[in-house]
Amino acid sequence: MTTSLTDTPTDREPRPSNKQPRFKFGRVVLFVVMIGIAIVMLYPFWVMIATSLMSSAQFLSGGGFSFESWTSLTATIPVGQEVLSSTIICTSSILIILLIGLPAGFAFSKLRFRMSTLVFLGIVSAMMVPLQAILMPEFVNVTRLGLTGGYAGAVLVYAALGTPFSVFLFTTYFRGVPDELIEAGIVDGLGYFGALWRLVVPIAIPAIATVTVLQFIQIWDDLLVGLLFIQNTGERPITVGLAVLAAGRTTSIPQLMAGSFISALPAMVVYLVFQRFLVKGLTMGIDR
Amino acid sequence: MTDVTAAVPRARRLSLRRRRQFAGVLFALPAIVLVLGFIAVPIGQAVYYSMTQWDGVTATWIGPSTWSQAFHNPTLWTALQNNAILLLSVPFALGIPLLIAMLLHQRVAGWKIFRSIYFLPTAISWVVLGLVAERFFAYEGTLNSIIHALGFSSVNTNMLGYESTALSALGITFVFTMIGTNTMLFLTGLATLDPSLEEAARIDGAGRWRIFVHITLPHLSRFIQLAFVMTVIALFSALFSLIFVMTGGGPGYATTTMEFLIYQTGFNQGDFGTAALYGLILFVLTAIVGVIQLRLIGSDE
Repeated sequence: MTTSLTDTPTDREPRPSNKQPRFKFGRVVLFVVMIGIAIVMLYPFWVMIATSLMSSAQFLSGGGFSFESWTSLTATIPVGQEVLSSTIICTSSILIILLIGLPAGFAFSKLRFRMSTLVFLGIVSAMMVPLQAILMPEFVNVTRLGLTGGYAGAVLVYAALGTPFSVFLFTTYFRGVPDELIEAGIVDGLGYFGALWRLVVPIAIPAIATVTVLQFIQIWDDLLVGLLFIQNTGERPITVGLAVLAAGRTTSIPQLMAGSFISALPAMVVYLVFQRFLVKGLTMGIDR
Repeated sequence: MTDVTAAVPRARRLSLRRRRQFAGVLFALPAIVLVLGFIAVPIGQAVYYSMTQWDGVTATWIGPSTWSQAFHNPTLWTALQNNAILLLSVPFALGIPLLIAMLLHQRVAGWKIFRSIYFLPTAISWVVLGLVAERFFAYEGTLNSIIHALGFSSVNTNMLGYESTALSALGITFVFTMIGTNTMLFLTGLATLDPSLEEAARIDGAGRWRIFVHITLPHLSRFIQLAFVMTVIALFSALFSLIFVMTGGGPGYATTTMEFLIYQTGFNQGDFGTAALYGLILFVLTAIVGVIQLRLIGSDE
């Protein structure tokens, strides 16, 4: 007891941890630093909002406030149509990814066949192939099949790029489901389709959510596929519309920022609501 | 269960196993077909087309000599060099998020709100982040405003406008775009760290730095490896959007990376054969990184 009294305070006192009283100098500094980082991370949103609230003339002269860029936005950027295209492309691609990935994950984990491990590894390796590496043959194939006229080409390319990850995630996920549950269902006469639909899919809801959220953000935010695999300007998704206008360098920047903000909104909402599924998907396979 | 299977004659059990395998093949088939058709076959085609003169319609066979010719093209080397230089941004794309994750892990008041804010830019398209970055680096942009506010009113930068600085601006933007994802990874890693370990080290008299180096870092090693691989892959294959809106590959070829060179060669110059060849070079580069990642995530397969 007496020795502890002679100890210097710095030695005796545990360093600030979450159990310590909150108001300490160190924690105040920490708080200020964190606000500083928050300002940096919010900078893109500030640029988008502040710039969009100027007219083109005000932007060039360096100041002012106006809703002009918002009210005249649809005349320059067909926002409604572009958001609709993005939505159609995202929804169709994700549906295909789920409809293909779920049964495949079920097969690779519970209905293993000869060489299924090898096939599984082959599919998972496809995760590492960037589209740019096979861009030219892919583009020519899809064009020859006549799929660049509508959404079909882009949807199929997105589906193919998203499938390896979803197969990996579902397979890993279903390995945790006891074999007996599936066996029982099949013996009870559910059949394999029945077992998949009635037993496996309900258990897989968190994994389905993870795939959906990750793919939604990926596809909604993508440029390359939409740029090359959708030929009609009237079917362009919003990121492509923005990028093409920006590359042209003739569009008013306030309007471009207003369009950017609209394009960012859906992904941000999805992100904030489903944050935890995203974290799960990202660290899949290493946090156990 | 065992009673049921024992009661069934051997022949039926066999056919049950057959049926199960058949169902497995059937269920896996759509995935196999899609990946074969849209990923595996194009790789094979790329190998063939890389040795041809190809404009997208007709391909004339030339042979492996196209490869040695391609490597004599200085633009290819510029693109490879740009990729190599951009690798210098990787330590920042890992170090800054690691620091931010450590700060968040202190669980200061309102840390959950800070976490959401820090992750928010991750949701936005790199097209949009590229547009914002262009505003930041522009002549009348935020960077110059900051420099002027610091008192250097005669200094005016235009980083995207010059060959010497455009790649750095791209690298800085890349680091910013990776902060959210990597911070998230590291924070997840830190959450799995047993606090009693740190506590024990602290009681034993270890300083903050020693705890960080000897306990926190080793614990995070798998997360750091994963973040490293994901960052490098993004660097090789996800910069397209940023380059497209920020610089278009220029000035000159100053910001043309491999992936952008593929796009330019194919779609601006119409040289599909050479673009396919460049694609294969990119494929080999990412495959090297990919093998490392497969080892990481596949170690428990």
